[in-house]
Amino acid sequence: MRKKLLCALLGTAMCMSLLAGCGKGAGEQQTAEPEASADMAGDNAEAADIAEDSQDETASGEKVTLEFWNVFTGSDGDILRQIVDNYNKTNTDNIEIQMDIMPNDQLQQKLPAAIATGTAPDLVLFGVENIAPYVSNDSLEDISDFWETTGADKGNILENVLELSHVDGKLYGTPMQYNVSYLYWNKDLFSAAGLDPEKAPATMDELAEYAVKLTDPSKNQFGLALPTNATYMQFLWANGGDADDPASNTNLLDSEENLKTLEWLQDLTVNKKVSPENITGSEADTMLQAGQIGMYMSGPWQINGLREQGINFGIAPCVAGSAGAFSPAGGCSYVIPKGTEESQRLAAYKFMKYWLTDEILKEWSQKNGFPVWSKTLMEDPEIQSDEVLSSISKATEIGRSYNLGYSLASQIDNDVMIPMFEKVMTGAASPEDALKEAVEGMDKILAQ
Amino acid sequence: MGKSIRKRKKYTAHNQKSAYLFIAPSMIILSVFVFIPLIASFVISITDMNIFMKDVRFTGIGNFIRLFADDRVINATFNSLYFTLLEVPLQVGLALLLTVSLAKNNRYCKMLRSVYYLPFVCSMTAIGIVWSMLLDPNMGLFAYWLKSVGVETVSFLKDPKLAMPTVIAVTAWKGFGYTLTLLAAAVLNISQSLYEAAQMDGAGSFQKFIHITVPGIWPTISFCIVTTTIGAMQMFDQAYVMTQGGPLNKTETVVQYIYDRGFQTAPYDLGYASAISVYLFVIVAVMTFVLRKIILSRGEETDV
Repeated sequence: MRKKLLCALLGTAMCMSLLAGCGKGAGEQQTAEPEASADMAGDNAEAADIAEDSQDETASGEKVTLEFWNVFTGSDGDILRQIVDNYNKTNTDNIEIQMDIMPNDQLQQKLPAAIATGTAPDLVLFGVENIAPYVSNDSLEDISDFWETTGADKGNILENVLELSHVDGKLYGTPMQYNVSYLYWNKDLFSAAGLDPEKAPATMDELAEYAVKLTDPSKNQFGLALPTNATYMQFLWANGGDADDPASNTNLLDSEENLKTLEWLQDLTVNKKVSPENITGSEADTMLQAGQIGMYMSGPWQINGLREQGINFGIAPCVAGSAGAFSPAGGCSYVIPKGTEESQRLAAYKFMKYWLTDEILKEWSQKNGFPVWSKTLMEDPEIQSDEVLSSISKATEIGRSYNLGYSLASQIDNDVMIPMFEKVMTGAASPEDALKEAVEGMDKILAQ
Repeated sequence: MGKSIRKRKKYTAHNQKSAYLFIAPSMIILSVFVFIPLIASFVISITDMNIFMKDVRFTGIGNFIRLFADDRVINATFNSLYFTLLEVPLQVGLALLLTVSLAKNNRYCKMLRSVYYLPFVCSMTAIGIVWSMLLDPNMGLFAYWLKSVGVETVSFLKDPKLAMPTVIAVTAWKGFGYTLTLLAAAVLNISQSLYEAAQMDGAGSFQKFIHITVPGIWPTISFCIVTTTIGAMQMFDQAYVMTQGGPLNKTETVVQYIYDRGFQTAPYDLGYASAISVYLFVIVAVMTFVLRKIILSRGEETDV
C-alpha cells in the first residue's frame, strides 16, 4: 500500500516537472511587446478558419496558404491580427495567411532550427536587429527583386527606414514599423512637483534636475525610471561618446566622454536615487502606467497602455548633451526564410506590398502611435493634425542606428553594454572600473 | 514433479517477454528524450555548431578550454553550489522536522500534509511570478505591509545579497511538501513496537526521533537528499522567472548560462553551450556518486 502511494507520488512528481517545463518562457517578457497573451494564437487559428470558409466561395485560382510567425504578443498583436484577417477575407489572389504569435525568445529558438530542417514558415515578422545575424548564416531569402516584381513604390519610403532592411546593399525584408526611444513624462506629477507640465526637459542637466524634483520616496514616486536590463546609448551619444563602429570593427568605448556620462549616470541612480532600484523594463512599464514614474524613455508601445490607464502624458525627443540629441532607432520588418518555395514567396510579396499601402500604414500608426515613414502619408492632413503622432514624428527625427545590421550586436549588448550600465547604475563598480572592464570585453568580441 | 518444473520455466520465459513489452514504451521515451540527446550533446560539445547548424566544424577540446577561462562559468558554478548547499538542507531539514509531528494518520495531519504538498503541484513559473509580485518593492503586497507598520521596504529580489537567499527560500517552500510526504510515508512504516520498547526503556521523544525515526527512514532521507541535490544543481525556472539571473548575475546558475549562450545571445553557440552542459553533467555525476558513498556508508554504520 505504501509502495503504491510512493509510486503514485513519484508519478505525479514527474508529470508536474514536465508541466513546469512547458510553462517556461511565459515569464520572460522584457522585450518590445510587454503583455503576453497565450490565448491569442488560439483565437487567431479560429479566425483563420472563418476566413478560409469565406475564401473558398469567393476567390479564384489556386489557393496559397502562408504560414506567418511573429512576436507581437502585446495589444498591437490584436490590431495586426485584425489587419491580417481582413486581408484573408478581401484579397483576390486566394491567399490565406495563418498567423502564429509567439514570444520573441521562443521564436529565436524555433526559427533557426526550422530553417535548417526545411520546416520554416513562409513569412516572418521580427526586429530588424535580427536580420544581420540571420543573413550571415544564410537563413533569409534575398528579396532585392521585390520592387520590380510587385511594382511597389520604393521612393515613397524614407531612406533611413528602408536601409534597416538591407545587408551589404541587398534587400532582405520590407519595413513594417519604425521607431526610436522617446521621453515620456507624466504631466500630473510635473504639476505636483511645481514644474511646467507642458515643458519636457531638453538637456541632460535639466533631466537630472527634474528627476530629483520629481522623486519622492515617501509616496513611492520616482523621477526617472532607468531599467538595468537596457542600454543607454542616447546618453553616451549626447556627450559625443559611442560604443563601437560596426563598419570598421573598432572599439570606441574608451573615451573621456563616456566616462563623464557614466559618472553622471551613477550620480543620478546611486546618490540621487531617482530611479527604482534594479528594475526591469516591464516593471518600469507597469510603474509608469500606475503613475509612479515622472519620466521614462521608451518606444511607442507605451502609448496604448498609458491611454488605457488614463495617464496624462507627453512625448518629447530624448534629451541633448554637449554633442546634441540622439535616440536609438529600431523597427520590425517582414522577412522570408531561406528555402521558401517560389509560389509562397510571390504570395508573401503580395502581402508585403499590401502592408506598404498608405491605408494600412495609416491604420497601424493611428491605432498604435507609431511614427509614419511613407512620404505621401506624412502629407496626410489627418496624420498632421494628430497631436501624439506629430510629437512622435518630431521625436523620431533624431533616430540613430545602434549596431543595427551588425551580426555581433546582441553579444555586445548582453556581454558588454548591459553589464556595464548595470554595474554603474547599481554602484557595484566605479565608472572607471566598469568602463575599463567593458573596453576589454568589447575588444574580445570584436576580435572574433 | 518434472512436469511442473517445465511448466514454471515456460511461464518465466513468457513472463520475461511480456516484461520487455511492458518496459518498451518507457525505453522508447527514455531513448528519444534522454539517451539520444545526452549522446548528441557530448558530440555537439566538441564542435562549433550554432543554432543555424551550418558549416559545423570539429573543434576538439577548444570549447572546454574556453569554458575554464570564462568568469561567468565560474560565477554560475559558484551560484549553483551556493544554491544547492543552502536549499537542500533547508528543504530536507524542514520536512524532517515537520514529519515528526505530522506522521500520524488522523484527519488533521492528513490535511496539513496535503496543504504543504499543494505548492509542489503548481508550476514553478506560476509560483515564481506570484512571489516576485508579492515581493516587489514598488508594487508588492509585502512592501505595502512593511510600509504600513513603518518598516523600510526591503527589495528582496533586487538586492545582490538578498536575491539568492530569497530564491532559495521560495524553492524550499515549494519543494518541502513533497519531501515531507515521502518521509511521512516512510515514518508510518516503522513498527510501533520499537517506539513502545524505547518508551519502556525511558527514552524521550528527541531520543526516539534520533535513534528510531531517523535510522528507520534513512533510505528515504538519502533518496530525498540525492534527488533534491540533483534538482538543485539543475535549477533554472525559479531564477529565470524571478530574477532573470540578475542582479549583477548573482542568481545566474549554470543551466541559465547554458540557455543564455545557446538561445539568447547571438551567435547562439550551441557547441559552447553543450560543452557547459557536459561540464555540469560531470559535476552532478561526481556529486551524486560522492553523496551516495557518504550516505550509504553512514546508513551501514547506523544499522550496526
